[in-house]
Amino acid sequence: MRHPSEGTLRRLVDEPDGVPDAARHHVLGCADCRAGLAAAESDADLAAHALHAEAGAHDIEAGTDVDAAWRRLSATTAAPGKFRRPGRKLRSPIVAGVAAAVVLAGAGAAAAADWLPIFRAERVTPVVVTPGDLVALPDLSAYGTVELTKPARVRAVDGPAAATEATGLPVPQVGKLPRGVTGSPSYRVGDRAVATFTFQAAKAARTAVAAGKPLPPPPAGMDGSQFRLTAGPGLAAIWAEGHGVPAMVVARVAAPVVYSTGIPFETARDYLLSLPGLPESVATQLRGTAALPLIVKGASETTATVDVNGVPATVLALKDGTMAGVVWVDGGYLTGVAGSISADEAVGVARGLRWSR
Amino acid sequence: MWWGERKGGVAVFRRPAVRNDLEQVFRAAYPRVVAVAARVLGSRDEAEDVAQEVFLSFGRSSVPGDEALPWLSVAAAHAALNHLRTGRRRAGRENAAGNGETFSPDVADAVVALDERRRVRAALSRLPRKQAVALVLRHSGLSYAEVAAALDLSPASVGTTVRRAESALRKELNRHASSE
Repeated sequence: MRHPSEGTLRRLVDEPDGVPDAARHHVLGCADCRAGLAAAESDADLAAHALHAEAGAHDIEAGTDVDAAWRRLSATTAAPGKFRRPGRKLRSPIVAGVAAAVVLAGAGAAAAADWLPIFRAERVTPVVVTPGDLVALPDLSAYGTVELTKPARVRAVDGPAAATEATGLPVPQVGKLPRGVTGSPSYRVGDRAVATFTFQAAKAARTAVAAGKPLPPPPAGMDGSQFRLTAGPGLAAIWAEGHGVPAMVVARVAAPVVYSTGIPFETARDYLLSLPGLPESVATQLRGTAALPLIVKGASETTATVDVNGVPATVLALKDGTMAGVVWVDGGYLTGVAGSISADEAVGVARGLRWSR
Repeated sequence: MWWGERKGGVAVFRRPAVRNDLEQVFRAAYPRVVAVAARVLGSRDEAEDVAQEVFLSFGRSSVPGDEALPWLSVAAAHAALNHLRTGRRRAGRENAAGNGETFSPDVADAVVALDERRRVRAALSRLPRKQAVALVLRHSGLSYAEVAAALDLSPASVGTTVRRAESALRKELNRHASSE
């Protein structure tokens, strides 16, 4: 057999049950792999020592005063107007990974009159990434500061009327539910979210140096310039399945808009895409597009383009056939149908959607 | 605290600002969240500050209850790494280290421990973010499957990511040691 990957060798160190027997047997009889395993063990030991030694972790876990900590949290949450931490960063685990790509192609909103809309998502384009790209995808905070100035506050509401009341959007009516999707949907809504990205040349330079390259000179006015990004409001109708996994979701969100105090979108986009740190394969796909990028993991997902009642739409499906969805932008709204259904079923639902208030 | 709109004297929808299961999740997960942050920060005080931030975010979120622990673990790792990057409270952290929090009986040991913390923090802050998070989560006791689910990776690529992180960590620590 082929030599097991370095990741498989690593897993042999501390979770050998997760490694196939064939790989284990191969390693036993292969001097190269045994050397690789020894190196993995050595590095793992060093890391364990570094992280445990510095944390005194077991003592910390055992020694926490949960009651005192809960009182502290309760005091914060009970204080009116204080239930937000200062400088909330756009950094939820889900958001962080895609923030760079989303903002590069533009997302966002603005209220002040001196903010000009510089990007309005009018269509969706798939951006195919490898797992390696995904790991390497930088966070916007590597190039400046990102602040979520107004969170989306995604929440459940009691029914379609409440969803419309909260968002001003019509709710979807599905003509014929795919097989296996039954019952009435529950509804979730989110407010318009606003985030502000401030480009900082000094921070970008540090990131560039870490990537081993100089920072390309920023365009005039770029350093310190701000981009305000909005998306939403939005609503989703969710047909539940067991285990908390939705069987199908139909969602509509006011499409992302980017506003700037002066830098044109193309200038900002092309400059950000030229910065060291972004995988070249991703940058190439984003260059020259004004569409909202949809991150597609090339190893496990496929995409196709279809027509939904005259509008081009992107179909995204897991290669193992367990989930599929279709997404499109029309009239300033981003709409999607997705779930544990086939791509054909998703497209069928999309084409049959009606919207009612 | 309530929010919502009234129409004809009837609340159309309303919801407390804090999710109902917050206390239950907090009590179950707080030690773990502090431990994840402490692996990055090396200080219980600062790890507890980070844990407060993380639970405030969680309290506002609609993360399903059964996904709370992986979500909180990832959020704790990110929040702690953010603290490193910004260098905030470094002075406070190092003062705390001098206040016996290192569990070191003598001054020489404390100095060595403090220096090691500083080097580890610097090395962690230089790793690619996803590698650093995977490394911290795996060394906080999450299984490969849990790390994979939390970071949307395949279990196979968790091994690769952790391996690369550990290799990079060694290089960073060596680089620091040789430059001093």
